[in-house]
Amino acid sequence: MSLTLLLEKYDVSTEEGLQKALNEIEKEECEVNEALSSALSRACTLEGRLRSASQAYSKLGEVKNDAQVAADMVDKTAALARDVSAKVRQLDLARSRVAECQRRVHDLIDLRVCSAGVEAAIKAQDYETAAAHVSRFLSMEPGSVAAARARGPDPRTDMDAAARTLRDQLRIKFEEAAKIEDDASVERLFRLFPEIGRAEEGVELLTRHLAAQLEASLRRAGQSRSGGAVFADTLTRALETAAATVERLRRLLPPHGHMLLVQGLRGLQPTVCSSVRRIWSELAPRPRFRPPQDKPDPLRLEPALSELALALSRMQLYFNFLRRRPEVTVNEHDPSLSEEARAESVRVIDRMIAESDMTLTAQEHLAHYLELERYFLEESVNKAIKLSAGEDSGAGLVDDVFYITRKVIRRAISTGSVDGMCAVMNEAGAQLERAARALRKGLSVTPHDVLPLAPPRTTPAPAPSEAELYLAHLAEAEAGAEWTERLATEACVEAEAAVRASAGACDKLRSCAAGLSGAAASFRAVTELGVSSLRAALLPAVTAWADALVDPDSDVDEMCVTDELSEEAGALPAALDTLADTLRGRLAAAGDLLLAGLMDDLLTRAHRTMLRNTYDRRGGLATERRCRRVSLWAGTGAPSVRERARSLSAAAALLSLERLEHAPDALPPAALTPAAARDVLARRSDFKLEDIKRLKL
Amino acid sequence: MEDYKFLFKVVLVGNAGVGKTCLVRRFTQGLFPPGQGATIGVDFMIKTVEVDGEKVKLQIWDTAGQERFRSITQSYYRSAHALILVYDISCQPTFDCLPDWLREIEEYANNKVLRILVGNKTDREDREIPRHIGEDFAQRHGMYFLETSAKEAENVERLFMEIAVELMEQAKCKELPKYDGSLGPINGKTSSETSCCLRS
Ligand SMILES: Nc1nc2c(ncn2[C@@H]2O[C@H](COP(=O)(O)OP(=O)(O)O)[C@@H](O)[C@H]2O)c(=O)[nH]1
Ligand SMILES: [Mg+2]
Repeated sequence: MSLTLLLEKYDVSTEEGLQKALNEIEKEECEVNEALSSALSRACTLEGRLRSASQAYSKLGEVKNDAQVAADMVDKTAALARDVSAKVRQLDLARSRVAECQRRVHDLIDLRVCSAGVEAAIKAQDYETAAAHVSRFLSMEPGSVAAARARGPDPRTDMDAAARTLRDQLRIKFEEAAKIEDDASVERLFRLFPEIGRAEEGVELLTRHLAAQLEASLRRAGQSRSGGAVFADTLTRALETAAATVERLRRLLPPHGHMLLVQGLRGLQPTVCSSVRRIWSELAPRPRFRPPQDKPDPLRLEPALSELALALSRMQLYFNFLRRRPEVTVNEHDPSLSEEARAESVRVIDRMIAESDMTLTAQEHLAHYLELERYFLEESVNKAIKLSAGEDSGAGLVDDVFYITRKVIRRAISTGSVDGMCAVMNEAGAQLERAARALRKGLSVTPHDVLPLAPPRTTPAPAPSEAELYLAHLAEAEAGAEWTERLATEACVEAEAAVRASAGACDKLRSCAAGLSGAAASFRAVTELGVSSLRAALLPAVTAWADALVDPDSDVDEMCVTDELSEEAGALPAALDTLADTLRGRLAAAGDLLLAGLMDDLLTRAHRTMLRNTYDRRGGLATERRCRRVSLWAGTGAPSVRERARSLSAAAALLSLERLEHAPDALPPAALTPAAARDVLARRSDFKLEDIKRLKL
Repeated sequence: MEDYKFLFKVVLVGNAGVGKTCLVRRFTQGLFPPGQGATIGVDFMIKTVEVDGEKVKLQIWDTAGQERFRSITQSYYRSAHALILVYDISCQPTFDCLPDWLREIEEYANNKVLRILVGNKTDREDREIPRHIGEDFAQRHGMYFLETSAKEAENVERLFMEIAVELMEQAKCKELPKYDGSLGPINGKTSSETSCCLRS
């Protein structure tokens, strides 16, 4: 409290006031003293902290000095290390220079030996040694040669001259050896060319020699003509000879020489091409078959076709053989060769094949074969169609056509040509469709009494001869679909296995095989047509049977009514049995299809008629018995027919009730809807409508 | 199994060098191939397009023009839904051969096949066959007509798309059963059911 405030508060004029003020001041003094002493005590700790802080600061200074020292040391070490590594580098350099010097010394020594030796070796006709000298010279560092040049006369002049002489000598010797067919010398001399840096030249000489030899043996192969398939045999022999020559070339080539191989193959190919062309134009079978003037029996063309197919496959084999050569060579000698280098050599070979005349010959050959094959196929199918139309048995069209198409497709597959296979599959599909159309024609008119189903209480007329024919045609159509489907699958599998072709080729094959199954669909359509015609033809008889089945006028005597085996009740099942037996021997699935269709017609009609008739109990009983027998008969047939027969039988059971109240018990579960059951019950003349309505079903 | 409702076979014919392969490659791969070799026999490409929201698979058969491949290429005519006959507008001989090609088509193809005449290489300066000559020829022989450039991608897409649309319409008006995607190509439903629309 300030003095002024004190003076205001207390009256210091009085002792008491003074005393109070004094007290107040003393109290305040006390507080100030306390505060002072606490501040003083804090000053003490502050001082301590200050001290320690200044100590830390001085320590920091020391650390900084130390760090500086360390940094200097690191710098120095780095400089030292740099120094050392520079020295090491110098050392390395020095060492490599020493090595180079040594090599050069060797080179120089060798160079002198080579220069001196090569002439002598050539003179002595020691070509191996001479070639070794040249090879040594060629492998020398250019520096060495330059160094030698700096000291005296240019050694290259001598060596180059020697190498040229040697090359000329080798060529002359090679030609001489080739002329007298001294194969041992030829091979020995050929091996020297790579050593003098002239591998390509060697391959060229060798290829020329081999081609000449090949030409001679191909001519010989072309002359010995014997046996049946002269063309295919001669071609086979020629290509085998060519392949043997290729293999000989391959054996002679230095390892790592896959491009030399390619060069050699290119050199040999023209000889092979011209030989193949000659054999093709002189020997290939060319039967005349220009319709309509020349229409030979297709069977007479078969030998020519087989031969052409065989010859085609031989050419294909040869192409594949050539294609694989680089790969085989590389795998033997140079397995580490890069993928690109391998692919490149295959590409070159492929191009060579594509551009070679043999490819052209093969294409012309294929065209010729396909033309002949198409004629064979068409004419054979024509014959089969004519035969099946003329004969009264009618059997065998599909068998024949299937046999022909399968044979033709297999032959096409044997050629190894994807385009050939595809074309033949296309043609085969066309012919199969023709066969299907021929069958359709045969099925367009349904003969009378085609099947033994006569109206009730009549005896079936004996089936006319056309009936058998009709059923036979239908059976053929049915078999046609199945056979053709099988043929398509089989062709696809066999073709793909035969060519092991690229994905694109397989797609092509599959698509063409799919065309065959297109023909299968045509056969199926014909089958369906036949089945529905038969169904239509039998409709009158079926209708009569349906009406008889649910006939309310029973003239059967009491005795028979209770007889489960009554003839009257069994008449329809017996007729159906006869029909089924007839179908079973003649049709497969189409027979079942037809029976199911007929039963469908019959049951539908019977049900409808039942709902129009009126029954007394007696008529109901007879109907019930007949329907039960039919239901029993249908029990082994198609499920849909079984169900319908069951519900007809259930309806008939309702008609035979003694009393209306028995209806709920008489109705088998799920056989009839309550509404349908009431409709049936309403047909009983003695059941009252309102009772029926009240009935709980 | 790829799902598509219709599969149509389109076959290109015409002299060698008129640009059939280029047209096919332009359409299926969107490129103009530099200097590829002549086609050998028959090549086969697929492109699926969409028409009215329905997938249509075009199976395009590119044929070699030379005489020696004729017996191969002829075998493809019968099952074709559309035949594209191509000539080169800058090369009179390719146009002069058209009657020969038509004879071949008459002999081997279905008579209801969709036929399109195409004059290719419209980008070239040295035109020899005026447009109306080609048009006349097409009209006289009941063919559709279009001029294209495989090089400049002119009318190529349109050519194939119009074929797809037309075949699709034919197929639909004949109410053929649709292709069931679950069937493999071998199963035959594909080609036969689509083909029946053009032949029935
Ligand atoms: N200028 C031009 N050249 C084309 C065109 N289409 C193809 N060519 C060229 O014609 C040549 C033959 O083409 P190609 O498709 O192989 O003909 P193809 O034998 O009918 O299949 C090639 O050199 C193509 O580059 C085009 O539209 N314009
Ligand atoms: Mg082409």
